[in-house]
Amino acid sequence: MAYVAARGGERAIEQAERLYREPLGEIDAKRVAGIRQSLPWLLDRVMGEASLYDPDMAALALAQAGGDLYEAVLLLRAWRSTQPRLGIATPVTQETLFTHRRISAAFKDIPGGQILGPTLDHAHRLLATSVLQGESLAPVPVEPASQPAPARQPSLAAWQRVEGLVANVLRAEVAPEDIPDITRQPLLFPATRAHALQSLARADTGGVLALGYAAMRGYGNAHPTVNELRLAEAEVMVRHPSGISFSAGRVRVSQAEVTTKGKGGQLDLGFAATFGWNEVKVIAAATLDLNAAAAPKGSPVEEEFVLYHTEPVEASGFCIHFKLPHYVTFQSALDALRDAKAEVWEEADSQTETVPA
Amino acid sequence: MSLHDLTRPWAAFSYGFLDAEAKREMRRKLIKAIAVPGCQMPYASREVPIARGWGTGGLQVTLTLVNPTSVIKVIDQGADDSVNAASIRRFLTRVSGARETWDTTEASLIQSRHRVPEERLRADQVLVLQVPNPEPLRPVQPNMSIARQMHADADYARLWLVLYEQIVRAGRIMQGAAYPSMVNGRHVMTPSPIPRWDVPKLNMAQHLTILSAGREKRLYAVPPFTSVVPLAFSDVPYKVEDHAALTCARSGLSGYFMNEIPQAAGGSAYETSDSNLGIKAIRRAGGETVEIAPTWYQGGEFRP
Repeated sequence: MAYVAARGGERAIEQAERLYREPLGEIDAKRVAGIRQSLPWLLDRVMGEASLYDPDMAALALAQAGGDLYEAVLLLRAWRSTQPRLGIATPVTQETLFTHRRISAAFKDIPGGQILGPTLDHAHRLLATSVLQGESLAPVPVEPASQPAPARQPSLAAWQRVEGLVANVLRAEVAPEDIPDITRQPLLFPATRAHALQSLARADTGGVLALGYAAMRGYGNAHPTVNELRLAEAEVMVRHPSGISFSAGRVRVSQAEVTTKGKGGQLDLGFAATFGWNEVKVIAAATLDLNAAAAPKGSPVEEEFVLYHTEPVEASGFCIHFKLPHYVTFQSALDALRDAKAEVWEEADSQTETVPA
Repeated sequence: MSLHDLTRPWAAFSYGFLDAEAKREMRRKLIKAIAVPGCQMPYASREVPIARGWGTGGLQVTLTLVNPTSVIKVIDQGADDSVNAASIRRFLTRVSGARETWDTTEASLIQSRHRVPEERLRADQVLVLQVPNPEPLRPVQPNMSIARQMHADADYARLWLVLYEQIVRAGRIMQGAAYPSMVNGRHVMTPSPIPRWDVPKLNMAQHLTILSAGREKRLYAVPPFTSVVPLAFSDVPYKVEDHAALTCARSGLSGYFMNEIPQAAGGSAYETSDSNLGIKAIRRAGGETVEIAPTWYQGGEFRP
């Protein structure tokens, strides 16, 4: 079978995978636990993009992929996609969130207060090189405030609504099982509100940042002010078949609401929320949401453009697929090219002949 | 009788990887696609354990159709042993227990990237083509919601215009693979990036062709005995690749679509793109009894 020897096929792909996995060494529960403990913000990012909240599985995916984010997200999505849906949780409202951090850039102070919570925003980004010399970096203990911040906070938009600053959008009551689900239905345009927000929730952090940043720099039509940014824990309330409602646990969530002066004399709001604590993503995504309404067709902030191009699994997969052989397609193009060239020469020849002496 | 007796034991994955709900959606969309030939049907498109853009659309169709008695052939650019074809085949047989083959005549289910085998497919065979971009209108209208409306209106004027402009500019239609084709006189489809050589094989064929784009979440079909007509002008006929006179340096076959292999000393050698047809010819030349089914092209000419 000399015909196929040059391509290698099955043995080649097996050995190539081994080359990748060998340096990663043995993966055990200890490594997974270590990743979970030391990289919670990375887990949050991965869980958000995978739209699967399970820190252990996210840590396992990162371990298995050796830290390749897109691979880790694909591992989790491929696991998630075939799992049965056992129940539908009660929708979470802002007021019920167990809030760790909540800030508004729109006002100096807001009802409920500005709560900084955990952040590196004001830290000096100095690399602790001494760790490499053998010293350890122990966190300084937090000194609790004399009065704890209230765990549950009203939404700023609720106050703005009362003041007549934002439109009072009537919430359509939808039965939980009728809420459109992006993981079970194709995304079509114009997208339903649920599909748009779900797509943003599972969007690529880097992708929404790139497009959101473009919008912020001036390629969008609306300049955002952070109305409210929250890092919180949400109670997942589900109903047991026997009728009892119970908490299945808490998940970390982030949400951002950005605002701009709207055309109708009120404030327009852009919103995004995701699993995990990921401020860059929700601010960028909320900015894109804010811009989508008035975006012209084909603009980089239009809903269809944004949602198609920030899907991490689709975008990364298509990008790496260009490594696959394309020689049939190329051969077909080459044939047209050569034939066109030959025809041009033929024509040139025949024209030379007909030139009168 | 207890609940335990009524349910199956827990397993990490369903038969054929996809769960029953996902397969049910696929079956419904497949039936719709067959009912309206060439019309793109949106589907949820689950994530599968290979990357998007690597055949996830074809894979979801194959996973839905496969059963333990299936015989599966997977090719990429015409070759069974191409690395991605090998990977997909290994996954399919692993989750379905179906038998695998390289022989086109033996397969009941053929998943292919960018080629239609040279041997004629029969009524009992299904061809699943992997599709990177399901939208023939994409070059003239990248916005999918507008393109969808254009299909509804059968508004293909801009496609014709592009072809006309190519003739004006280059003297011929420059479209290489993925040649836009009218299906059943109603919907223009992209036949996926198969070479122009392969498009006539779909016209009034005995077999069912399913085309599926996982990343773009669209599938469409060419049912048996359905017309597939490449867009062309009456005075500028459709032209397949000029491969009829090329001879395979390995198998001696000629009159089939070839891969061009650049030679260090200049010029090119050619090998049969349908690798298993090449292997069969080599075996036959070596004295083995090998069955080669009738091919669509004979002596480099398409014989309907």
